[in-house]
Amino acid sequence: MNSLYALAPLLTIVIGALLVLLLEAFIKTENKDYLAYVSLLLLIACAVVCVHFWNANFSYFDGMLHLDKLALFLTLLFLTAGAFVMLIGMKYIALQDANFGEFYALLLLALSGMMIMVSSVNFLVIFLGLEVLSVSSYALAGLKRKDEKSSESAIKYFLMGSFAGAFLVFGLALLYGASQAITIPEIISYFTAGSETQPMALIGLGMVVIGFAFKIALVPFHMWTPDVYEGAPTPVTAFFSVGPKSVGFAVLLRLFFSYWNGGFKSEVMHWLLWGIAVLTMVLGNLIALRQKNVKRILAYSSIAHAGYILVAILARDSASLVFYLTAYLFMNIGAFGALIALSKKGKEYLELDDFAGIGFTYPWIGATMAVFLFSLAGFPPTGGFLAKFYVFSAAVRQGLVPLVIIGVLASLISVFYYLRIIVYMYMKPPEREIDINLENPALFLVLFLCLYGVLQLGIFPGNILTIIKQAVSIF
Amino acid sequence: MSFPILSLVTFFPLLGAILLIFIPKDKKGTLYTISLFVVVITFLVSLLLYFNFDSKTADPQFVENGAWLGYGINYHLGIDGISLFFVLLTTFLLPIALLSSWSYIQERIKEYLIFMLILETGIIGVFVSLNLFLFYVFWEAMLIPMYFLIGIWGGKRRIYATFKFVLFTMLGSLLMLVAIFVLYSFFYKATGIYSLELFDYYQLMLSPGLQIWLFLAFTLAFAIKVPMFPFHTWLPDAHVEAPTGGSVILAAVLLKMGAYGFLRFAIPIFPEAVAKFLPVLMVLSLIGIIYGGLMALIQKDIKSLVAYSSVSHMGLIMLAIFSLNIEATEGAIYQMLNHGLSTGMLFLIVGILYERSHTRLIKDFGGVSKQMPVFSAFFLVAMLSSVGLPGLNGFVGEITCFFGIFSSSRLFAILSISTVILAAAYLLWMFQRVMQGPITNEKVLSYKDMNKREIGYLIPIVIMMFWMGIYPQTFLRKMDASVAHYINRIKNKEKVFVLQPKNPADKYAKEKDLKPR
Repeated sequence: MNSLYALAPLLTIVIGALLVLLLEAFIKTENKDYLAYVSLLLLIACAVVCVHFWNANFSYFDGMLHLDKLALFLTLLFLTAGAFVMLIGMKYIALQDANFGEFYALLLLALSGMMIMVSSVNFLVIFLGLEVLSVSSYALAGLKRKDEKSSESAIKYFLMGSFAGAFLVFGLALLYGASQAITIPEIISYFTAGSETQPMALIGLGMVVIGFAFKIALVPFHMWTPDVYEGAPTPVTAFFSVGPKSVGFAVLLRLFFSYWNGGFKSEVMHWLLWGIAVLTMVLGNLIALRQKNVKRILAYSSIAHAGYILVAILARDSASLVFYLTAYLFMNIGAFGALIALSKKGKEYLELDDFAGIGFTYPWIGATMAVFLFSLAGFPPTGGFLAKFYVFSAAVRQGLVPLVIIGVLASLISVFYYLRIIVYMYMKPPEREIDINLENPALFLVLFLCLYGVLQLGIFPGNILTIIKQAVSIF
Repeated sequence: MSFPILSLVTFFPLLGAILLIFIPKDKKGTLYTISLFVVVITFLVSLLLYFNFDSKTADPQFVENGAWLGYGINYHLGIDGISLFFVLLTTFLLPIALLSSWSYIQERIKEYLIFMLILETGIIGVFVSLNLFLFYVFWEAMLIPMYFLIGIWGGKRRIYATFKFVLFTMLGSLLMLVAIFVLYSFFYKATGIYSLELFDYYQLMLSPGLQIWLFLAFTLAFAIKVPMFPFHTWLPDAHVEAPTGGSVILAAVLLKMGAYGFLRFAIPIFPEAVAKFLPVLMVLSLIGIIYGGLMALIQKDIKSLVAYSSVSHMGLIMLAIFSLNIEATEGAIYQMLNHGLSTGMLFLIVGILYERSHTRLIKDFGGVSKQMPVFSAFFLVAMLSSVGLPGLNGFVGEITCFFGIFSSSRLFAILSISTVILAAAYLLWMFQRVMQGPITNEKVLSYKDMNKREIGYLIPIVIMMFWMGIYPQTFLRKMDASVAHYINRIKNKEKVFVLQPKNPADKYAKEKDLKPR
């Protein structure tokens, strides 16, 4: 019975998703918003349960269900992201000819997949969660059924995703073969105890990392990202850029923090991650310089941000990693939200040229977008700055000075393209008529909340920091 | 807990900016009234700092210290004799810069005023922060309003100029951030305490090898800001493109942030590295003096002439700072204030001229003084102040600098005097071509002389110029103790330090209690 109790957050979401799917059939097209309200209620209910469980530390079924504080905190983060995405998506799907109630159901299912992944230490269960997340994601990417780009995005995501899944499973098989273990603690103890570490185990571990690197979009496993992000409906892109990334990092966090803490000294893994981090930060930012489409710029920027977060893994500082994920959620969903604000029925304004003069024609959208961009670029006093500050200072404490120098120079490159969007918004005269639909209270609520979050995290993050410190105290 | 006067001075403009957001944008009068009210109040409050300043102690005053984010990140404000006058200079010039914008800025007035007010908060914050994190936050945050000021209200090449300004500055400051991280982690490893407090770092004894790299990172950041040769290339672009108000703040205060960074951070934290790099830095400063002067001679545009004259003057200031003695340092600080006033005023003058002529090319003018006699008088004062005429402020600062440099190095002192010769050459020549001679361009005939508003905002500067030129004691005596302490700290670092790397933490704790904070 207790175990059922511990499953409550997950059950809320899964059953809720099925319920929404069922309701969908009975609700008229013009009333689809009700599904959003139901879903939001479910998210809130789930969040309440998570808060209630904060000190519980459940672990059932041999670690298959492992609800520690980290899992709960990340779950809350995902729920926030999910709620934001639903709110910014409500009007969007109606305007962009994708008004399907499945949007909410699929989002809930994807969330449940993410929750499974963070609240387990058993790799098979993690893989299960990953598949739930992935399959819902593929469907979400193709939500605009009549749009070729959206379908292309879904296919690409599906192909690459299955490929990554194959890597992951193969890696797990190798790991299991070498260590006869499938849970993270056992695998780690195999690495730390074994004097005779087999190359097979290391290769397996490497392949697991590659599997997740696809999900997180680390260079050189990022090729799918720009196309998928560009083609997918914008709220879904916002979700992709935050959700799967955070969950991938959460798993890597669980894996590598025990790994580093175990005192296992493998230079190979360290340098592998080091190289990937450098490539991700530098290439992600460099390619973004050449983009003309704001959605693609944000796609590449999200690749670059994955690089910074990877630095936190190398720095072995879990608090800064989780803080980064939190700040990143607010600023990135905010930026995508502002992008969605610039749309009307059947038309989105995504090109840089469309942004010319926006700062003065739509001062509030322009100003919030500018704040999110400054935050992404890492200017104080925003959450983005503080996140980078924590990650990089932890990395320097760990002796990774060259990596940090590369990181800050890469973020200097990023300043250029973020500021370029602002140049268009504020320093160029409008080039073409931009006519947008402003009746979107849910979206503006999200913009406001994200703005608040970005500034709160940048100026007074005290409470959040305390909670994060508690969440990562398990390491 | 006394009244948080520094916080008030720092954040009052920001509050004003937030208030302005809610004023409709077509109400020009209301917008200006509110923002002027805010900056004037800020100035008056900052005068309290001056009158209540205790000139006998070198310790920071008006200190506010509170925990902020933990891990050494504190909200720690305070000023001493070095930073006091930079705060005053900023608050003094802001009302003037705003008044000068009344007719220059014709569109998007609301946003302009908001950014100017945010800028003031950022600048003052830099000068009053005693925690490296806080300092860095203000240092970077200040870039944002400046970026918009140049980019929106600038001239034709404004986007290029603003990008160059931001990217140059950020290149330096990001590397400085890495250096701050290294100090932060070093301090933690040595003592087991997280600290970003400036005064803790003063006591840090670093190995010479490490010092060099950290010093270079800090130096790059500050040298770009000053700007020292060869990092000066952003300055003419930014100055020429910026609107008058922005140019004034840029020249008068922003450049001083770089020099202030040397005085406050780079030199006292890394004295050994300074000693090692001193010849290079002095030679670069000297090149800056001569190169800036020569470049100013050949400029066709008055504004870029003034911009290059800044490079030359800042070269002298940096040379004085690197002389590392009391006279030179006081001279440098004093000269920075002078430069703020005189160059700020020159930019205002150019702005006034530009509003009438819509050109800044020297060849388009000639004989303007016949048409605008009052303007001519103000121009003359500003120019002579910049040249260093005895009786005006520039003379006092330059002569103190030269004395100070002379006692460190005769050769550099002699060579650096070229700054006066060059300044006289390019400024007088420019004055002659613009203001005197026959009127060659008939458009000049249509110029109206300065109106009351323009006279009104220039008068306070002129008064300050005479005051500082005739009775410098008002200012110099306030900084004596702090400067003496600063020089003493550099010269006797060995005696002051309490901390060796890898020393047990308890030893540090004991000695820390003994030190006055």
